[in-house]
Amino acid sequence: MNTDQQLFDEMSVRRFEYDDHVVLAADVGVADDTTVDVVDDTVILVTGDEQYEQPLPDQSDARAFINNGVLTIELSDEEAH
Amino acid sequence: MKLTVKPLKQKDAGRGLAAIDRAAMDEMDLENGDYIVLEGKNRAVARVWPGYPEDDGNGIVRIDGQLRQEAGVGIDDSVTVEKADVKPATSVTVALPQNLRVRGNVGPMIRNNLSGQAVTQGQTVPVSFGLGPLSSMSGQKIPLRIAETAPSGTVVVTDSTEIQVSEKPAEQIREGEGAASPESPDVTYEDIGGLDDELEQVREMIELPMRHPELFQQLGIEPPKGVLLHGPPGTGKTLMAKAVANEIDAYFTTISGPEIMSKYYGESEEQLREVFEEAEENSPAIVFIDEIDSIAPKRGETQGDVERRVVAQLLSLMDGLEERGQVIVIGATNRVDAIDPALRRGGRFDREIEIGVPDKEGRKEILQVHTRGMPLSEEIDIDSYAENTHGFVGADLATLTKESAMNALRRIRPELDLESEEIDAEVLEKLEIADDDVKDAMKGIEPSALREVFVEVPDVTWDSVGGLEDTKERLRETIQWPLEYGSVFEAMDLNAAKGVLLYGPPGTGKTLLAKAVANEAQSNFISVKGPELLNKFVGESEKGVREVFAKARENAPTVVFFDEIDSIAGERGGGQTDSGVGERVVSQLLTELDGIEEMEDVVVVATTNRPDLIDSALLRPGRLDRHVHVPVPDEEARRAIFAVHTRDKPLADGVDLNSLARRTDGYVGADIEAVCREASMAATREFINSVDPEDIGDSVGNVRVTMDHFEHALDEVGPSVTDETRERYDEIEQRFDTAEPDLEEDKVGRTFQ
Repeated sequence: MNTDQQLFDEMSVRRFEYDDHVVLAADVGVADDTTVDVVDDTVILVTGDEQYEQPLPDQSDARAFINNGVLTIELSDEEAH
Repeated sequence: MKLTVKPLKQKDAGRGLAAIDRAAMDEMDLENGDYIVLEGKNRAVARVWPGYPEDDGNGIVRIDGQLRQEAGVGIDDSVTVEKADVKPATSVTVALPQNLRVRGNVGPMIRNNLSGQAVTQGQTVPVSFGLGPLSSMSGQKIPLRIAETAPSGTVVVTDSTEIQVSEKPAEQIREGEGAASPESPDVTYEDIGGLDDELEQVREMIELPMRHPELFQQLGIEPPKGVLLHGPPGTGKTLMAKAVANEIDAYFTTISGPEIMSKYYGESEEQLREVFEEAEENSPAIVFIDEIDSIAPKRGETQGDVERRVVAQLLSLMDGLEERGQVIVIGATNRVDAIDPALRRGGRFDREIEIGVPDKEGRKEILQVHTRGMPLSEEIDIDSYAENTHGFVGADLATLTKESAMNALRRIRPELDLESEEIDAEVLEKLEIADDDVKDAMKGIEPSALREVFVEVPDVTWDSVGGLEDTKERLRETIQWPLEYGSVFEAMDLNAAKGVLLYGPPGTGKTLLAKAVANEAQSNFISVKGPELLNKFVGESEKGVREVFAKARENAPTVVFFDEIDSIAGERGGGQTDSGVGERVVSQLLTELDGIEEMEDVVVVATTNRPDLIDSALLRPGRLDRHVHVPVPDEEARRAIFAVHTRDKPLADGVDLNSLARRTDGYVGADIEAVCREASMAATREFINSVDPEDIGDSVGNVRVTMDHFEHALDEVGPSVTDETRERYDEIEQRFDTAEPDLEEDKVGRTFQ
């Protein structure tokens, strides 16, 4: 498998738009060794040997975490509009 | 913390997720993905999913039908939600149903399916097995029973969980939809796509009175007693009734028309009474009468005595002297006008709900429902399929997904050994539905509402039309723009044109243009051949016109194409030779095009070569308001037409299309096509006569159509338009042009301010 895959092409991501920010959520399946990080406007998800990347819109103040297989990416105010 | 249960969106369903609104999440200190326990009558475990923005602060938890069933709660009930401490499972033993024959290791597949879900021992989890033998029907899932878990209690399946398949089959297999009814049809609200408003209305009518009759007592009104669902076939009327029955846990019984009919005097009515009595004993209950038109037709119009008595019995059962208590009747029909009017009043069917053909959003939701359990390849874009399936009802979309799955199955058929008892798990895992499977399936399915009038959309694009640039542009404006740039039309307060009349001498490409429109407009296309509408019975010809437009409206956006419209829309008030049928057809057409009933997203395209014969009322603005002259091609247009027709022909180097175009004054598109055909025929003739039949295969690649062949063809084919005809059409054009001034080209000027 490709090591540099586009995350959002691989799984269906749901977008929730709240008043002050946007939340992206995806059910990626539970694995012990899955980690997610935001580096320079890019979300990087590593699970086992595979790595997925997804660039985020510029200047977004993003926070990403994964909990029991639910991947959550929170984008701040500017991106909501 | 107590939260109110609401249904989950279709796309989030089936994965054990619970969408909790954010205020409640903050209060309970939950994060997305945390495990929670939902406690209604029973306990169920779910994972937290972001709450829907519209729920903010309303104390709402959204869960799907499966979780609702597990927790024993219904929509709008309140449920206690608590954070749960769930351990990851080290191993889970599952029992497969007895009749499932799979060989090999299904563990990984089950794990993928269950990954992230919380399971408890003894619980039955439906798992979609790709296209396993049990699940080949749309979205059906295989019920797995959790036989054992380690550690015990509620655990969560992770990627490192070991899945074992128990030796003992799950003793009790959850039965399929057909067998389990009538008590508990296995449909939840999430299985219904695109009918949110209708569902809400039905629930309001049925759930509320059943759960809280005191509300109605307080208001001093009788709770509603019946709902009539009507709409085209396949839109989900029966499904909706099933879902309601399932979700509110009421006694559910069905009446199917033909079954209660008996040959003995009085017995049909008795059976009807029995059904209602049984329902009353088990109240609260729902009596569902499918195809109600079959047992309750208009009494005045029925032939037999029995039908009349059955209708009368039904009337008195539904609202007679005797109270029927908490029994709600749901009727479904696709011929609402055929039902006895006495049934359609308050107290019997209090509300009539129309279930229409779904729009784009609805189709998307329906597709999501049907593809939920399917292993779809990533390249499949559900949105684009939702967009391209105008006029499809739920049943058509279900067929589409089923056919796609069958296509995928066909691909792996050679690898299947049908003789063997079991199917290799690896093969099962390999099953995936590719984009091409869906595309192929699309070709074979036509919207069921349009089936009688459906035509295969011809494979003609704007490119296949040579010349006629102005005409093409006009058509595009009229037909494609209102669909593509709806917002612009709205902002300009501009109504889309209702019709286009293409006129011009024979052979100039009017029908070809219409074909291109049909292909490019991304709409449904209904082609009407004028003479076909005529019928020997009085009133039937007009009915034909009416039906065409009714179909078009139901399946909008639609292009209705009348070829040779002069045959059915001649000037009225002429000689009365046909007892006025022609006139009545014209009148019908007039009212359909600009009547009280609005034509939304229906465009009429008509062609004729005798516009002077058409009734003038048809040509006024608001009906066929755009008149497009398809002229005899000029030199440049002829060149383009030559180019189109010689595009795939092997031409010799010396062929000069410019000179051909120059020399074919008065030739129309059809003539030019004939010239090209004649020239290639001449070349073919020469080739076949001169070459040994055995060598034909080898030397056919060397044949060229030369200028000489064209010369020969020009001698054979003469121009079909004389100066006289051209003059006549120019005259007509002038007459029409005064009615509609020409667009001034390239004058952008003040449009943007």
